[in-house]
Amino acid sequence: MPAAAAIKVMIVDDQASMRAMIRRALEDYGFRDVRDCAGGDEALAAVRANRVHLIISDYNMPGMDGLGLLEAVRGDAVIGKTVFIMLTGSADRDIVQKAAALGVNNYLVKPFAPAALKEKIERVFGALT
Amino acid sequence: MQRIIIVQGEHAVCGDPGKSIHTLLGSCVAVCLFDPVRKIGGMNHFLLGEPQPGTHHQDLSRYGIHAMELLVNALMNRGCQRHHLRAHLYGGATMIEGLGDIGRRNALFARQFCKTEGIEVRHEDTGGRLARRVEFLAFEGRSRCRLVHERVAEPPLAPMPSPLADAGELELF
Repeated sequence: MPAAAAIKVMIVDDQASMRAMIRRALEDYGFRDVRDCAGGDEALAAVRANRVHLIISDYNMPGMDGLGLLEAVRGDAVIGKTVFIMLTGSADRDIVQKAAALGVNNYLVKPFAPAALKEKIERVFGALT
Repeated sequence: MQRIIIVQGEHAVCGDPGKSIHTLLGSCVAVCLFDPVRKIGGMNHFLLGEPQPGTHHQDLSRYGIHAMELLVNALMNRGCQRHHLRAHLYGGATMIEGLGDIGRRNALFARQFCKTEGIEVRHEDTGGRLARRVEFLAFEGRSRCRLVHERVAEPPLAPMPSPLADAGELELF
């Protein structure tokens, strides 16, 4: 399994402070190639232009939301198999079920501890270190 | 006027002219947000800015980064727009000598959060050595703050939620 440093990550969240917190957590866990976008449309264009291994996306965003992004990624012949972890609010259980139907790899309920994010990533990629 | 009282780790959102949101602050900070177009506002109450990388705490809503996310999302779910939001900041007192500058750092976090997210801070009353009682008339976006001169204990903790159990209810892998 790849070490954290070999995994390219895209963070998608409309809240800049949350993107920064996730980025800091990932960097603390050894990730080196971490990009971020504020919305689904922007993120989709970015990952089509520059592929990543992992997308960590909020669900609740203006414009293309996390489900829209997941559906677009899964429908793309080139980036369709990108690992996708969805961040949801605690009241979004139906959203998680929709995401599961669309092929999300895992999800995390906000608020979450950095260690919980690491655990979710490791369930998909294996141990990071 | 019906009073909605919040403590550490809680938030409330309200657009009802007959209700106001209240809290008691020591070194904690409360951020009041108001959307003047929707005439809906909300207040949170947090203990610290951000969790450290190794944090496994289950009560994450006591951290500002999550408390702000929860409050902003609750407002957006009621139809508010992020770019309409205005903020009032309260709290961040140094209640006990020798416990560092937690209050100052909490206020700094709130200020920095609003700056990063493009939320205009219309009023700030932070720092000092006294507790504060804050009342927010969320429908109007007006707040009142009274310094508490008598010695008060730090406000009680909110009941401990269990987000990890919550997160595991629908396991995918």
